[in-house]
Amino acid sequence: MRKKLLNKTLRIYVLFSILILIISAPVFYFLTESLYIDDANEALLLRKNEFIKYSVPAMKLSDIDVWNKVNRDIKIEQPTIKLTKDSVFYKFYLDTLANENEPYRVLLTPVIIDNNLYHLKARINLVESEDLIKNIALLFFIILALLLTGLFFITKRLSSRLWEPFYAVLYQIEQFEIDKTTPTKSIETSIEEFYRLSTSINHLIERNTQIYQGQREFVENAAHELQTPLAVFQAQIEMFMQHPDLTTDQAEILTKLTDSSARLNRLNKNLLLLSKIENSQFVDKEKLSLNKVIEKQLDFFTEQAEEKNISIKKEINSETIVFSNPALTDILISNLLLNAIRHNIQDGQVIVTLNQNNLIVSNTGAGQAISADKLFQRFAKTNPSSKGSGLGLSIVKRISDLNNWTVQYSFDKDFHSFTVKF
Amino acid sequence: MKILLIEDEKELAKSTIDYLQSNDIICEHAGDVKSAISKVASYDYDCVLLDLMLPDGDGFRILAELKKLEKTDGIIITSAKDTLDTRLEGLKLGADDFLTKPFHLSELLARIQALVRRKQFNGKNLVRFNEIEVDVLSKTVKANGKSIDVTKKEIDLLLYLIGNNNKVLSKAALAEHLSGDMADMLDNHGFIYAHIKNLKKKLSDAGCNDYIKTVYGLGYKWQG
Repeated sequence: MRKKLLNKTLRIYVLFSILILIISAPVFYFLTESLYIDDANEALLLRKNEFIKYSVPAMKLSDIDVWNKVNRDIKIEQPTIKLTKDSVFYKFYLDTLANENEPYRVLLTPVIIDNNLYHLKARINLVESEDLIKNIALLFFIILALLLTGLFFITKRLSSRLWEPFYAVLYQIEQFEIDKTTPTKSIETSIEEFYRLSTSINHLIERNTQIYQGQREFVENAAHELQTPLAVFQAQIEMFMQHPDLTTDQAEILTKLTDSSARLNRLNKNLLLLSKIENSQFVDKEKLSLNKVIEKQLDFFTEQAEEKNISIKKEINSETIVFSNPALTDILISNLLLNAIRHNIQDGQVIVTLNQNNLIVSNTGAGQAISADKLFQRFAKTNPSSKGSGLGLSIVKRISDLNNWTVQYSFDKDFHSFTVKF
Repeated sequence: MKILLIEDEKELAKSTIDYLQSNDIICEHAGDVKSAISKVASYDYDCVLLDLMLPDGDGFRILAELKKLEKTDGIIITSAKDTLDTRLEGLKLGADDFLTKPFHLSELLARIQALVRRKQFNGKNLVRFNEIEVDVLSKTVKANGKSIDVTKKEIDLLLYLIGNNNKVLSKAALAEHLSGDMADMLDNHGFIYAHIKNLKKKLSDAGCNDYIKTVYGLGYKWQG
């Protein structure tokens, strides 16, 4: 599946942000916590040192009970375990006010009071610190999230603005059709790369259009220029034909020459027609009755069909009116009918179906379908020995295109069909 | 009959002149606009064959000149340039017919004859050949005074054959003549055989001589 360029960059961006958030939140939490524990340890150590320095020298054994009564967080206890140095650890104590266990940091250290060994137990409640850490972590998380989403939207907007000229160029390329002359316009942009893209594409389009125009003119000029020598050629053959002492051999050669010259002539006329269509020399359109066009041509084609004993069947119900150029419509229909007769078999059939949406010309012929992909291309003859010019169907296609009609080939139950959809 | 051929292509001009002269048509030739204008100004022609692209200018200038001189010469434009605009412009300037190059000489001759017949029209438009009489207007054929029932196409064919008396006509030329606008499409001349056969039969049934000869595989010839 293809994604938009912008979405692709943003997706990576979003993934990165989420990853950073997920990793950074616990890291931040544990880091703050360990900092706070260090802090608590230091505070406990300070209390111990103060106690040893200021309280111990003045303290008597009888003072211990009083001390323990007054101080909640520094207590003097009878040693229960053997302790040689400071011991720091966590411990939960029941908070009688809130009636729940609360975490404490506890320092246990041996002290000598009045030459007796006691253990000093100093503790710090960690409840507040935990809340603090949680709050800090949350705040951090929110700020980071805000930052990242903010950046995301800014990047998105900025990128789509930045890429705007690119999409404009893209649209221009998509809309480009070589046989339609739409003027190219360069896209205004301050970004150098896009400016280069736009100008080089415009350049490309202009060059291609020029070359295409040149080709078109060449075909028309070539076809035109060929007419005079063709006329000379044909006239000379005709003069030769009048020779009084023509032998059979000569007559045979002359027959081939006349056939070839007729074929050359037809080819040239079709080429000329095609280039005239492409040079928009048939632009005038009017309302036409296709029924009348078909009727007009059927006489001629019925005569043409007689030789192969082909029957032409009409399936026409109502009158179909189209908006098209009359000369081209004639050509379209005659090309289709001629095609249906030319590629037909002895005792074959041609069916002309006309309704409001379609014109279908079907004919019997070769037993299998012809490959449809090259059918409408110039000189794409399936049968190289055929006398056709190889241009008939591409003319049909061009005329259909010109009217925004579609033309399709299909093969079904021994019938080759060409469907023109209006 | 006297005609003026205005054509700069020498070989084509020569063939055309040869063909027309062997049909008893006096044919003069001009290769450019200047000599053409001086010729049409000095003489009257039954028909002027006009090529449009000439070395020293546009053939339309000759048409305009003819119109200015109020000449009634029939004019057939024979040009390679065949667009709707050219045709309209030609007709507007008084041309009677338009024949696109390349054309068959036999077709050109038939067109000249048809045009001259129209121009010299005096109530009747008859073509006679020995015992055969064709009324071009009413599309009827009489042989030895008796009407023959022929189709439109057969009359067309008959006129073409008679007009090109003693000339070998290729099947292609006959087919193109008979199919008119559809000629460009044509790649099969088989239907000509059927028409010739029918015409031959109808003429011989009416007691006519057998004028239509087959020339090897090449075509047909009206031999009087």
